[in-house]
Amino acid sequence: EDHKLSTSELEEKYGTSINKGLSSARAAEILARDGPNSLTPPKATPEIVKFLKQMVGGFSILLWIGAVFSWISFAIQLAQGAESPFDNLYLGVVLALVVILTGIFAYYQEAKSTNIMASFSKMIPQQALVIRDAEKKELPADQLVVGDIVEIKGGDRIPADIRLISTQGCKVDNSSLTGESEPQSRSCDFTHENPLETRNIAFYSTTCVEGTATGMVINTGDRTVIGRIASLASGVGNEKTPIAIEIEHFVYLVAGVAISIGVLFFIISVSMRYKILDSIIFLIGIIVANVPEGLLATVTVSLSLTAKRMAKKNCLVKNLEAVETLGSTSIICSDKTGTLTQNRMTVAHLWFDNQIYSADTSEDQTTQPFDQSSPSWTALSKIVTLCNRAEFRPGQENLPIMKRVVVGDASETALLKFAEVILGDVMNIRARNKKVAEIPFNSTNKFQLSIHETDDPNDKRFLLVMKGAPERILEKCSTIMINGKEEPLDSEKAAAFQTAYMELGGMGERVLGFCHLYLPENEFPDTYPFDTDSMNFPTSNLCFVGLLSMIDPPRSTVPDAVSKCRSAGIKVIMVTGDHPITAKAIAKSVGIISATSETVEDIAKRLNIPVEQVNRREATAAVVNGMELKDMSLQQLDEILCNHSEIVFARTSPQQKLIIVEGCQRQGAVVAVTGDGVNDSPALKKADIGIAMGIAGSDAAKNAADMVLLDDNFASIVTGVEEGRLIFDNLKKTIAYTLTKNIAELCPFLIYIIASIPMPIGTITILFIDLGTDVIPSVALAYEKAESDIMNRRPRNKRKDRLVNEQLAVYSYLQIGIMQSVGAFVTYFTVYAEQGFLPSTLLGVRVDWENNAINDFEDSYGQEWTKYQRMYLQWTGYTAFFVSITIQQVADLIIRKTRRNSIFQQGLFRNKVIWVGIFSQIGIALILTYGLGHVTALNFMPLRFQYWFVAVPFAILIWVYDEVRKLFIRRYPGSWWDKNMYY
Amino acid sequence: GLILLFYLVFYGFLAALFTFTMWVMLQTLSSDIPKYRDRISSPGLMISPKPDTALEFYFNKSDAQSYAEYVSTLRKFLESYDDSKQSQNINCTPGRIFDQNDVAVKKACRFNLSELGQCSGKEDKTFGYSKGTPCVLVKMNRIIGLKPEGEPRIYCTSKEEGMVEINYFPPEGLIDLMYFPYYGKSLHAHYLQPLVAVQLAINSNSTKEEIAIECKILGSPNLKNEDDRDKFLGRIAFKVQMTE
Repeated sequence: EDHKLSTSELEEKYGTSINKGLSSARAAEILARDGPNSLTPPKATPEIVKFLKQMVGGFSILLWIGAVFSWISFAIQLAQGAESPFDNLYLGVVLALVVILTGIFAYYQEAKSTNIMASFSKMIPQQALVIRDAEKKELPADQLVVGDIVEIKGGDRIPADIRLISTQGCKVDNSSLTGESEPQSRSCDFTHENPLETRNIAFYSTTCVEGTATGMVINTGDRTVIGRIASLASGVGNEKTPIAIEIEHFVYLVAGVAISIGVLFFIISVSMRYKILDSIIFLIGIIVANVPEGLLATVTVSLSLTAKRMAKKNCLVKNLEAVETLGSTSIICSDKTGTLTQNRMTVAHLWFDNQIYSADTSEDQTTQPFDQSSPSWTALSKIVTLCNRAEFRPGQENLPIMKRVVVGDASETALLKFAEVILGDVMNIRARNKKVAEIPFNSTNKFQLSIHETDDPNDKRFLLVMKGAPERILEKCSTIMINGKEEPLDSEKAAAFQTAYMELGGMGERVLGFCHLYLPENEFPDTYPFDTDSMNFPTSNLCFVGLLSMIDPPRSTVPDAVSKCRSAGIKVIMVTGDHPITAKAIAKSVGIISATSETVEDIAKRLNIPVEQVNRREATAAVVNGMELKDMSLQQLDEILCNHSEIVFARTSPQQKLIIVEGCQRQGAVVAVTGDGVNDSPALKKADIGIAMGIAGSDAAKNAADMVLLDDNFASIVTGVEEGRLIFDNLKKTIAYTLTKNIAELCPFLIYIIASIPMPIGTITILFIDLGTDVIPSVALAYEKAESDIMNRRPRNKRKDRLVNEQLAVYSYLQIGIMQSVGAFVTYFTVYAEQGFLPSTLLGVRVDWENNAINDFEDSYGQEWTKYQRMYLQWTGYTAFFVSITIQQVADLIIRKTRRNSIFQQGLFRNKVIWVGIFSQIGIALILTYGLGHVTALNFMPLRFQYWFVAVPFAILIWVYDEVRKLFIRRYPGSWWDKNMYY
Repeated sequence: GLILLFYLVFYGFLAALFTFTMWVMLQTLSSDIPKYRDRISSPGLMISPKPDTALEFYFNKSDAQSYAEYVSTLRKFLESYDDSKQSQNINCTPGRIFDQNDVAVKKACRFNLSELGQCSGKEDKTFGYSKGTPCVLVKMNRIIGLKPEGEPRIYCTSKEEGMVEINYFPPEGLIDLMYFPYYGKSLHAHYLQPLVAVQLAINSNSTKEEIAIECKILGSPNLKNEDDRDKFLGRIAFKVQMTE
């Protein structure tokens, strides 16, 4: 309500004085009461909570259970005085270590990606010029309190919500708050009931573009308008990312399998008269075998690798999981300004000599291709050059013209650059045509005028140049220049002007008219005193020269990116605060509205019928005005979102963005939203993936977003989508790869329990596969190239296209996994048989085999073995089993490179990292077997060289079988085979 | 339906493949001698009778029931050494390795029960348990092709001095080299491994005390008896506690 109060009422209310400001003591008091003038950062989860979450998330609970069981059985065995109870203690410790280490790793990864963001929010502390104790002081902005008198000037950020007391040509850029891109003038007058609309309040975090102002602080910190919005944004809940849902689904699936098999075999072993203690130990083994310990860490690494890759392509991902979200995106709600467009006015069209010319609007123009031979153009270019107050900042001579910084408003900047590109050195031209008088643009006259000496030494006439709103300019003209000659402006020529004006305006462009007049030398001699107040010079009967129209042109990469989205089945919706016509024009030029589609209004116009009679279904495109949206019910919005494939929302407020996002999410879509303003933050949070602009974006937007677009370019989003889709495919491969060997680790336990053979593989050995040999290969799959053009298929259906589907689990578990088990068992039996224990001897020997008191255990050849000799043999068996799994995992790794294509189509050597994976796998296995083969606790034994090759035929079989599978899938799409075998 | 059929065929194929590879693997093996014997380069020692729980003998010399199991185990164990069962066995030259590499049918050397003296069970049907002089038979694990060097013998010690007097049958606990090498179950069907009986004459005032005995194989450089981890490699430890 402060905007309605008079200055003296304000002074009274806040106990301050406009001239003297607050006293320091009073200010300190208020500061103590209100707190510093800064936004409370969103409540961060305490680090310890984050850490603990990692410790109990995913499979950790299962492993903790395993560890606790190990310790329990250790305690029991210790109490019973058994011989080697420490094995279980160690196992428990190892399991706990695994959980803790993977937890620390995940925590570290998360912290690392959060840190990238932290650097963003660090800003140079802002200073404010305050009057206190009747003195002007520079203070840090967070020391401001209500009642302080502050002075601001062009370029400053407004340090708090300020009621303006005196202003001089003050304009503020409210875009971060309201989305309006035009600077708005500010004065001391109360102009509107709504504090957001009134002119005498400047808001915290907006910028003063030009002019100066003095004002009184009326709100600080979280009580500012921005502060309230920011706290609103933190109220919008964060949705779970699709990949988080998928991983949760996968964890449940695997944990479900682990627990049910574990419990089933616990019951079986109890009913087979195993001791409870033994049964518990089996249970631990089954859990450890079933849980892919290294997988979640692998997923994190893969995601962060992709995040790194995306960062290189200007997509900075804050939340690792958002990497994939982008890939499943089905609707992108994009801003227009800056994202789809270059965010700078550029001359797009010219009209002179009764003809429209197009100008080059690309980002790096160096010349203009249109016909410049006409003398009319010479005249027009002179007006463009001279009737312009914008100037380049000095010292930028080496920069390309388009990149130079200009002091001046957007249109003038556009014209200056346009002239500089064509004519070169505008400043010199201006110097040669000295300005003698000038009337700047204002909203009442809607024109700008200046009078110059000419650079022709023989021509002593003054040149009056004028630009402004076309209709106003035309009013002042009596002639029009055609091919350099002045011709009378008759109704025919005026009609031609109207047509051109309408056409350019219809393209959503801002049109300016240009005219000039050479003042007769006799009436206006050298010394003539021009007075802009009394206007002692003609401003009518001028000569109309031409029109220039400007637009914020689309970025050149955007149309391609939009068509990529289209083929990728992603709907691009433009949401902008701009005028519908401009919005539609840009939408058309970038392809958001395709060339052939029509809106309801277009159809009405074409058929010449009222809008109401048009069949709404016929229109594929829609341009929805924010005002219409305001009155719409949710059903109506849903209908629009549903029925139209090409939608533009114009004149929307940032708040309406949230409504649009929610509407899209109701359709079941995964929605990406771009935003830069503070007001966008609720929408950014609500969206499945919020994308903040790195250059134009406010901190609040960056905070609320999941991703920051470093170059503000829409095309970068599309590359992000591609990476996101690729990582989803590759994670599928990684998981399939990892799950497979779990069966080969599980089967030994099951057969051990059922057939009572000596234990084929140890729990520790399994951990060495899961966390040793398998880790690098599974990460390597993240580097796999896409099998086909992933941007040619539709976004995945959240409900149907799961990361881990039934086919993947079944194929990995019941087919490849079983083959691996068979291969590994062949090696196991070979090792035992060649040492004297034929397979038939092994069945049912478990109890005697493990009996410490039996030291004359007879083998198939009549030899007798001590317990320890048997243990050595058993560990050799572990090693052989381990080696076999490793060898077959190499085949598994190779087949997982593709899901549909033949490996030979994909190229065996294209992904070099896979080979790093294979070599690491074999290298680690060699080190474990021969290097650590004598460390008893690890249960590895040096292995005869030939045992490395026993499983090779099975590895080859796996490869061949998978090639056949893929061949059938490719040959018979949609067949029974395809449905059951494609994962 | 189709899916069941598929898995039937698939697993059928895998089972066949498994069987086939196992068969091929077994074909490469000899039925006489295992391909590798590196995991048992040196034999372990074992005793008979072997108490169920740990290697601890508890008995009352005046209570026949308390040692009946030991006696019957010993009796059973020695059945195969009975003269009637050894009719096919030949008398070999003592003190020399009995190499039969070139002979197709491997002969077994006769091990006379009388070698075990008072522990043969001939005179004392209770193997000394009733007299407080219990017998324990020590045997060396069979390993195909093992040829002990030197003069292997079993030597037992008691940690507690003076509690027990140890007697060996055959004298000095000698294991004769003529029983080596062993050619495996299928070639050497009637093979009997040499035994050493250890008679523990427990001192009458040491009854009720637990006596720890450790037996080792000595006198042969290629038979290990000091392995850190394998407590049964060339040695064996057991406890005896006798009451009256």
